[in-house]
Amino acid sequence: MTEEHVYTVSELNRTAREIVEGGLGGVWVKGEVSELTHASSGHMYFTLKDEAAEVSAVRFRSRSPILSSIEPGMVVLAFGSVTIYEPRGRYQFVATLVQPVGAGILQAAFERLKQKLSLEGLFAPEHKKPLPAFPVRIGVVTSLTGAAFHDVVSVLSRRWPVGELFLFPSSVQGEGAAEELVAALDRAVRFSQTRGSLDLILLGRGGGAAEDLAPFNDERLARAVYACPVPVVSAVGHEIDFAITDFVADLRAATPSAAAELTTPDRADVALRIARTAERAVRALGGRLEADTVRFRTALRRPLFRTPGRLLETAEQRLDLQAAALSRAPRRALERPHERLAQRISVLRALRPTRPLERGFSLTYLQGTARPLRDAGSVAPGARVVTRLARGRLTSSVEEVDEE
Amino acid sequence: MKIEETLAKLEEITSALEREDLPLDEAIALFEQGLDLAASAKKTLDEARLRVEQVIEKARGTFDIEPFDVS
Repeated sequence: MTEEHVYTVSELNRTAREIVEGGLGGVWVKGEVSELTHASSGHMYFTLKDEAAEVSAVRFRSRSPILSSIEPGMVVLAFGSVTIYEPRGRYQFVATLVQPVGAGILQAAFERLKQKLSLEGLFAPEHKKPLPAFPVRIGVVTSLTGAAFHDVVSVLSRRWPVGELFLFPSSVQGEGAAEELVAALDRAVRFSQTRGSLDLILLGRGGGAAEDLAPFNDERLARAVYACPVPVVSAVGHEIDFAITDFVADLRAATPSAAAELTTPDRADVALRIARTAERAVRALGGRLEADTVRFRTALRRPLFRTPGRLLETAEQRLDLQAAALSRAPRRALERPHERLAQRISVLRALRPTRPLERGFSLTYLQGTARPLRDAGSVAPGARVVTRLARGRLTSSVEEVDEE
Repeated sequence: MKIEETLAKLEEITSALEREDLPLDEAIALFEQGLDLAASAKKTLDEARLRVEQVIEKARGTFDIEPFDVS
């Protein structure tokens, strides 16, 4: 009778370990992390599990850099081998690589929510509010410590310092950030309703890992943005990052700096527009004055307007000088408009043909004509005439004509 | 007046002057008003310094506005 080999416990565990190690080799395992401990030795002990089973796992310090982002509850993909810890006869998985697959799961949740909100009409273009061309009171919902806020301040200081920033601080990542953002946005809305309306609200944060941007993919925040009566501009992360708030907001900007650029005019452009409009006004009035000057010169020669000769000559000369200066340099006129134009205006005022009217004279025109009447014979009974007085006009019908 | 309103008013005045159908006195008065608007808008733009304020809600509906040091 062949004697059965009797294993010692040590032998048994060693043999089992050899069989297990040889039989499986390197494998990939997907599971949820629980009971995670970082030992002082630098090793990381945890349990991997699915709905029905679990296995203890270890990742030794020397194997690969520790991923601090591994947390309990996270679903990971781990590469390693199966072994048996001989002193305890304990079966375990030795991981050499552990990476979160949460990113993929987050992506799926993102797409599901995007689809759902889109079907509900939260992204509808017709719901989007127009943004003001010259926003002055600008609400900012972000973290005070992040880059986003400082970027916005620096862009606006240079570009549109006419604005006034109202900060509604909130954390922008981690647990509770979504709730805080909803609360901060709500605060901004109530502030706008009770303390003077905000022209727009910038909502966002700088770049970060996918998990860091997660609060901006929160359904509650999306609904708050949709309901916000003030136009909201969403700026989350870098150019390539998209968040749910980007789709709901009235405008999506690639970055917080871009949001500041997109929503405000450049003060230099506005100054140029003012200067050009003022220049047009100068040209318009200048042209008008030229035409009037010609008319006044004619009028000045009539007896009614006769003024002592020298005074008239002086006035005409001044008019000529001013007219020349004005037509040469509308631009220069703009630089010191009041000095140049006020002078010219006062000359014209002194000469204006309505002055004799103030002394009781009046001018009578055939209705619809511009030439004052001089000869009663040129009007027939029944004609309608307009009489211009120092203040106002009279319209009358001629009853009788005496040509004498 | 907000800069937007100033600009609109200035445009309106300029268009009126360009129509050339106003009595001279009125045109001159409008022109002067227009240049005043342009000058004040330009001044506003030149002298603007971005104001940054933090809004703190002390109790619900009670807001404090505090200057925020950005440096």
